[in-house]
Amino acid sequence: MVSDSITNASIHAAPNNNNAARDVGKKKRARSAKLKQCKLDVRREQWLSQGAVKNKDCKAEQNGVVEERKDRNNRHPFGNLGMRPGGGENDGSIHHHHHHDSDLDSNSPNSLTSSVLGSNYSETNFTGSSSSSSSSSSSSSSSGGCCSGNITEDDEGGGDDGCLDDWEAVADALAANEKPKNPCLESPPEHDPIAQSGSPQETTIGSDGPSFGVENSKSQCARTIPKASGNGLAWRPDDAFRPQSLPNLAKQVSLPNSNRKHYGCGGVPWAYSGVVSAPSTCPICYEDLDFTDTSFLPCLCGFRLCLFCHKRILEEDSRCPGCRKPYEHDPVEAEASVHGGSLTFRLPRSCSLITRS
Amino acid sequence: MTKPAAGSLAGMLTMTKPSAGSLASRSTWVSTTSVSSSGKRIQREMVELNLDPPPGCCAGPKGDNLYNWVATIIGPPGTPYQGGIYFLDITFPYDYPFQPPKVVFKTRIYHCNVDSAGNVSLEILKDSWSPALTITKVLQALQSIFTKPDPYNPLVPGIAHLYLQDEAKHAELAAEWTLRFAK
Repeated sequence: MVSDSITNASIHAAPNNNNAARDVGKKKRARSAKLKQCKLDVRREQWLSQGAVKNKDCKAEQNGVVEERKDRNNRHPFGNLGMRPGGGENDGSIHHHHHHDSDLDSNSPNSLTSSVLGSNYSETNFTGSSSSSSSSSSSSSSSGGCCSGNITEDDEGGGDDGCLDDWEAVADALAANEKPKNPCLESPPEHDPIAQSGSPQETTIGSDGPSFGVENSKSQCARTIPKASGNGLAWRPDDAFRPQSLPNLAKQVSLPNSNRKHYGCGGVPWAYSGVVSAPSTCPICYEDLDFTDTSFLPCLCGFRLCLFCHKRILEEDSRCPGCRKPYEHDPVEAEASVHGGSLTFRLPRSCSLITRS
Repeated sequence: MTKPAAGSLAGMLTMTKPSAGSLASRSTWVSTTSVSSSGKRIQREMVELNLDPPPGCCAGPKGDNLYNWVATIIGPPGTPYQGGIYFLDITFPYDYPFQPPKVVFKTRIYHCNVDSAGNVSLEILKDSWSPALTITKVLQALQSIFTKPDPYNPLVPGIAHLYLQDEAKHAELAAEWTLRFAK
């Protein structure tokens, strides 16, 4: 019953807001929970039947949903007055929402703005709904229903707006991704509709969605699979279009060693080519070596240690723990100490690495 | 013996853990408390020593104090010290990896590099110490002076002299001391 009332409230509010949003324009989009439910159903069906069903069927379903939604909007074109007979098919809690509707009628702009605020600032849902309930001086029961309805409404509306916004962004991202991918895929007419049909459900996944959607569609086009990377990656490791923000961990794990040598654009390119593999912890203090420490090679003997221990040793006898030779006799270190700057300090390190490798 | 020590080590780990996180706090951590730094190092050495002890050696903290260890070295076969069990006290300085540990024989031994107080003259425990050395290497070095005394850097010149002049007599006396003190 509670859920009925919630959906009821959202159904009541949705077409009203749809009309208002079209009037307002870009300000507000559809916030109907029913619409979202329909879209979720469509997405689930698409997801289940993606491997076998033709894309046109999915599109037809989508169109059907859109038409249904338009139909619903047309059925109640006049806001709340038109809504009442439509909402009458529900029973029980509908009386509360007639009260609620009348309240909304009395101060609909107020509730609209409050809901808009609530959806814009999704963290302040409760303040928005409370302000609307307080402004609508109704009975306690109806205000309670109104409050709950508004809360869920705003939540759904916020999520729905996010989905719609994401849908556009994802569509743009997909279109942008098609361009670099097409030359290697060689089947754009087969690939594009799949990606388009797959795009709605990617919106729920997030920003990582497009790559996975492309993966799925790639598995459908059997001809393109050998063209793609053998590791099942969306981007080949040497692909220039691979986003820099993608994590490197999976590729490091999945790539064999031979690829790793060719592909030296990781964080530590010399760590693989170096003669002495860098230890993961400092042999002196057993603390983990960070990036600065692993790229720090104070002595030509190859003994690595963390910067703290190195500083400590420089303060005392300043001999390399590995070879017991004084650090000062290292020309690399002398140059670094002469110039002193951080840039020149970085330079001798790479020089010594070059001489090593 | 190692059980309470492990408990205290765990407490020490949790103590040092938050300070080891970021770079800034780590620098203050090193400068203020070198105790924790050496503690972590000693604890790791203890773990590695227990995992892979050199033959004839064992070592561990004496009690709750991580910096006071007791070690035993069994006299290597083929030497006059064969069959003897030699106890040593190892004291780690608080700036340990940067300063060598202090090793004292608690068992009397007839050896030119160990005096009557148990002090050891070993190069790697003095000038040749390196922070990269571990207590395992120190124990192996101590074992090596059982088989090969260094009479040219003696603590007891008389024993060194006898070793150079009459090795059989030296071996006889050393075996006698082993029987008397180390068994």
